Amino acid sequence: MPGMWWVVGATVVVALVAAYLVWTASRVERLQGRAQLAARALDAHLLRRAAAAAVLAERRYGTELYAAARIALDARPDEREAAENDLTRQLRTIRLDLSDPDCEAVIAASRRLALARQVHTDLVRDARTARGRRLVRLFRMGRGHTWPNYFDIDDPTLAVPAADVPTR
Amino acid sequence: MRIGIVCPYSFDVPGGVQNHVMDLAEALIGLGHEVSVLAPADEDSPLPPYVVPAGRSVPLPYNGSVARIAFGPVSTARVRRWITRGDFDVLHVHEPLTLSLSMLAVLSARGPVVATFHTAMTRSRVLAAAQGALQIVLERITARIAVSALARKVQVEHLDGGAVEIPNGVAVAKFAGVEPLPSWPGEIDEGTGGTLGFLGRFTEPRKGFPILRDAFVELARQRPGLRLLVAGPGDPDDLFDQFPPDLRDRVTFLGLVSEEDKARMLRSVHLYVAPNTGGESFGMILTEALAGGTTVVASDLDAFRRVLDSGRAGRLFPTGDPVALRETLAELLDDPAQRAELTACGDQVVANFDWPVVARRVLEVYAAAIEATDGRVIDQEWVELA
Repeated sequence: MPGMWWVVGATVVVALVAAYLVWTASRVERLQGRAQLAARALDAHLLRRAAAAAVLAERRYGTELYAAARIALDARPDEREAAENDLTRQLRTIRLDLSDPDCEAVIAASRRLALARQVHTDLVRDARTARGRRLVRLFRMGRGHTWPNYFDIDDPTLAVPAADVPTR
Repeated sequence: MRIGIVCPYSFDVPGGVQNHVMDLAEALIGLGHEVSVLAPADEDSPLPPYVVPAGRSVPLPYNGSVARIAFGPVSTARVRRWITRGDFDVLHVHEPLTLSLSMLAVLSARGPVVATFHTAMTRSRVLAAAQGALQIVLERITARIAVSALARKVQVEHLDGGAVEIPNGVAVAKFAGVEPLPSWPGEIDEGTGGTLGFLGRFTEPRKGFPILRDAFVELARQRPGLRLLVAGPGDPDDLFDQFPPDLRDRVTFLGLVSEEDKARMLRSVHLYVAPNTGGESFGMILTEALAGGTTVVASDLDAFRRVLDSGRAGRLFPTGDPVALRETLAELLDDPAQRAELTACGDQVVANFDWPVVARRVLEVYAAAIEATDGRVIDQEWVELA
C-alpha cells in the first residue's frame, strides 16, 4: 500500500522538523541566558574597577581620577560606556606604582575586567548570531528576552612595564 | 578549584600540545588546585598520576604531521563518565576543533568551558566550509585562549571571535640548572672554536636547516674548531650527506633526545640557531633556550620577534638568508660581551613565560569563564593566592 508509506514518511519528516525546532529553541534560550549572565559578571567587574580606582584616587592621585571613578560608578546605562572609557583614559595618564597595593588592585581589577569584557563580547555575539537566524525569527524564538547588547568599551588593560610584570 | 583538562593527542607520542598540557597541569597542581587530565592512552602505558587514560588512539595525518587521537562512541562514553565523576568547576579543552576527545568533551559539557587554540590553522577554506558545524562546538565554549598572536588572528578572522592571548609557558627550572653534556660546549676564542646548536626535524623544509648548513659550511672553513650539534628525529646518513666530507667530523648528531637531554643539549652550545622559514606559530624552543641561558639567533619571523622582544633577548636575521646568518654568527661568536647582554635580557623575558606565572593568567581566564556562567564574581585572592 503506497498510501501508508506516505503517512510514515510524512510523520518522520514532521518529527524530525519538530525535533530540530525544539533543539534550536533550547539553543537560542541557552545562548541568551549565557549572554545575560556574562553581562552581570561584566557589570560587577566594572564596579570593582571603579571602586578600586576611587580608593586609589582618595589616597594619592587626587580629584580628577576620583571624579572619573565616581562618574563611572553613577553613570546611567546610556552614558556608561563613555564614562568607563573616560576612567580608562584617566588611569592611563597616571604613573602606577607597582609597590603600592592599591595600585596593584587597580591593575588586577583592570586585567580581570578585560577578560570579562572579552568573554561578554564573544557570548553576546554568539547569542545575536543565533537570534538573527531566519528560522529563529520566523518562529519568534527567544522573544521573552531583549536582544543582547554589546558593551562597547576600549580594552581596559593597563600597560605594565615589561620587566616589572608580577613574577610572584 | 577542581579543573578538568582534555588533551586531544596521545601521551604515548611526545608533542607540543602534550607537553603544554602536562606542564600546565603540574603548575596548577603546584598552585594548590585539583587537576585531572583526560588523554588518549593505553591503559597500561606509564602516565603521571593526574592523567586519566581514555583508551587507544588512532593515527591521523593532521596539519603536516601525524596526530594520534581518539574519537567515536566508546570515547564519547568515557568522556561523559569522566566529566560526571570529575564534578569540575571548569573544563579546559585543547584544540577543540580537531575531531578528538576535546571536541567530544565540549559537546558533552554543561558548565564553563575554556578552550586553548594552539595551531594557527591557515586553511580557511576548510574552516569556512564547516562553519555551521563548528559554530555548534564554538558556542559551547565560554572563553578562548590563543597561545600565539597568529593563533589569535585565526580566531578573529576565520572563527569570528576574540581570544585572550596567553603564551606557552616554559618550565624555567627544568632548563636553568642542568649540566651541559660532557665535554660540551668546548673552547671558544677570538676567531676559533665555538659551538652552534640546532634542534628539530632537519628534513622538514619549514625548519630551515639548509640555511644553517650553508652558513655553517662557509663559516667552518674560516673558523677552525667551530662545531655543530644537531638533535632531532631523522636518519644520520641524511644529515651527514649534506656536508662536505672534510667537515663531517665537526658535526655531531644526537638523534631524538629526551626532555632532560634536550635541556642539557641547549646548555651545550654557545649559540642556539632557529633558522625556521615559517609555520612556527609560537617558537617554544626559543623560550627553552632562553631559560637555559643560551644565546639565541633566530630568523626574523613574527612569532620569534615577539618572543625575543624585537631582538633585545636574541639576535634576529633576515629569514632564509644564509649569508646574513653567517655574518651574525661570526660577529656573536667573537663578542662575549654581546652574548652576555643578550642572555641577561633573555632571563628577564623568560621570567614572563615561567609556568607558574602563565598558569596564574590561565586561572584568571577560568575565573572569567565561571563568572560568565553563573553571573557571580570570584574573589581576587582566590585566583592569586590559591
